[in-house]
Amino acid sequence: MQNTIVCRCEEVKLGEIISSIESGATTLRAIKVVTRAGMGICQGRTCRPLIEDCLSKTIKQDSNDVQQLNFGNPIRPIRLSELANTRKG
Amino acid sequence: METADAVVIGGGVIGTSVAYRLAKERKVILLERKEIGGQTSGNCDKAIILQSKKPGFPIKLAKASRRIYDQLEEELETSIEYNKNGGMILIEKEEHLNFMKKFVDRQNKAGLRVKLIDAKEAKAFQPYLSDNLVGATYSTEDAEVNPLLLTQAFSRAARRSGVDIRLYTEVVGIDCQNGRVVGVKTDRGYISTELVINAAGPFAGEIAEMVGVPLTIIPRRGVILISEKVPPMIHGNILCSQYIAAKHQSEEYGKAPPFGIGLSLGQTDSGNLLIGGSREFTGYNKEINPELLASIASHAIRMVPSLGNVQIIRSMIGFRPFTGNGLPIIDEVPGVQGFVIAAGHEGDGIALAPITGILVASLVAGESNYKDLLEPLKLKTE
Repeated sequence: MQNTIVCRCEEVKLGEIISSIESGATTLRAIKVVTRAGMGICQGRTCRPLIEDCLSKTIKQDSNDVQQLNFGNPIRPIRLSELANTRKG
Repeated sequence: METADAVVIGGGVIGTSVAYRLAKERKVILLERKEIGGQTSGNCDKAIILQSKKPGFPIKLAKASRRIYDQLEEELETSIEYNKNGGMILIEKEEHLNFMKKFVDRQNKAGLRVKLIDAKEAKAFQPYLSDNLVGATYSTEDAEVNPLLLTQAFSRAARRSGVDIRLYTEVVGIDCQNGRVVGVKTDRGYISTELVINAAGPFAGEIAEMVGVPLTIIPRRGVILISEKVPPMIHGNILCSQYIAAKHQSEEYGKAPPFGIGLSLGQTDSGNLLIGGSREFTGYNKEINPELLASIASHAIRMVPSLGNVQIIRSMIGFRPFTGNGLPIIDEVPGVQGFVIAAGHEGDGIALAPITGILVASLVAGESNYKDLLEPLKLKTE
């Protein structure tokens, strides 16, 4: 169970998430910065709800009260050259 | 009633650095209304670049901070991905060559080793550069650090030294009696203290207003793109001469470009590229004009064509605390005893965080060992 991969992009295991919480990372952002979970190419599309769940279970807080992470532009990966061509005219 | 020897307001790189230094002698509480490093310090590039600073005192201050970095990983007992990989400022246009030549001369006179190299030499060092550059400047004194790890490292070291860090706690008032600070009101209770450090970065003005002090720190927005992990392709920091023109906003360094676009490029140890950036005065607006992202992208590709193929996975929007003179304010406010400001570092907060903690500790201890560095950082009261 501890070896289950939670964040596939950055290959972060459940055990790493839980131990980061136990050593004081008590917010989603802190877990992300410490473990890199959610920092990969999918930006947490898969692992966000799992990590929220880990956090609320470990610190016994309702998952609705967990502070959400921000999403940043772009909403999907885009090649820099394509981004450069999105200029008008 | 709860008491503390000092309350630090702001859990960014400056607040955590200050809290860590103050904790050596005091019981310190750090208040952060959101997350550690969640605002300006978590939305910035990774450069500790000395050669972008104005020749003179700004260089002296940055060098003092850079020296502390050399022992910082050992001191904080963790990796912050500090690398002394040098830095380069690309010169794209002939018309920029003149002011960059003068800039380099003055940097060397100010004691910073910077040399002007031709396009071929620059490419030998950074193979992915465009063939169309006029040249570049290069300094071995520039370094880089991972700002996310840096702020976490300061905050963990502060906690180990006994600092009580409270997230999601907002300051709503500062209590003063007879011209001195006596306490801090938060949305989660009152803390009695005689020392408050305002390290709220771009929000420092709101905090200063609570003691009736007007501060002219305004947010300057910067946007940076983050790529997927790619194999190592960038060595150290890369800026461009247009970045210098945008940063210093002075005709002396050329005309400021639209959106304040200038290249800032680095690669983290994990392989993500940080591709910046812009500089604008738009308040705290987080809405991004698509034209802005496109401009950052096309400018970066012009300098480093291979970047066109990398996938961008995220963008960061940071609000840098701009003071107008290119220097932060580190001072006790005259007339409000116990109210210290440590804010206004604009885009130099990462470079200057280590020295800022030490300067604040020295200031509040009433020592004179850093007088030469503190004097120019005093609050200017008209």
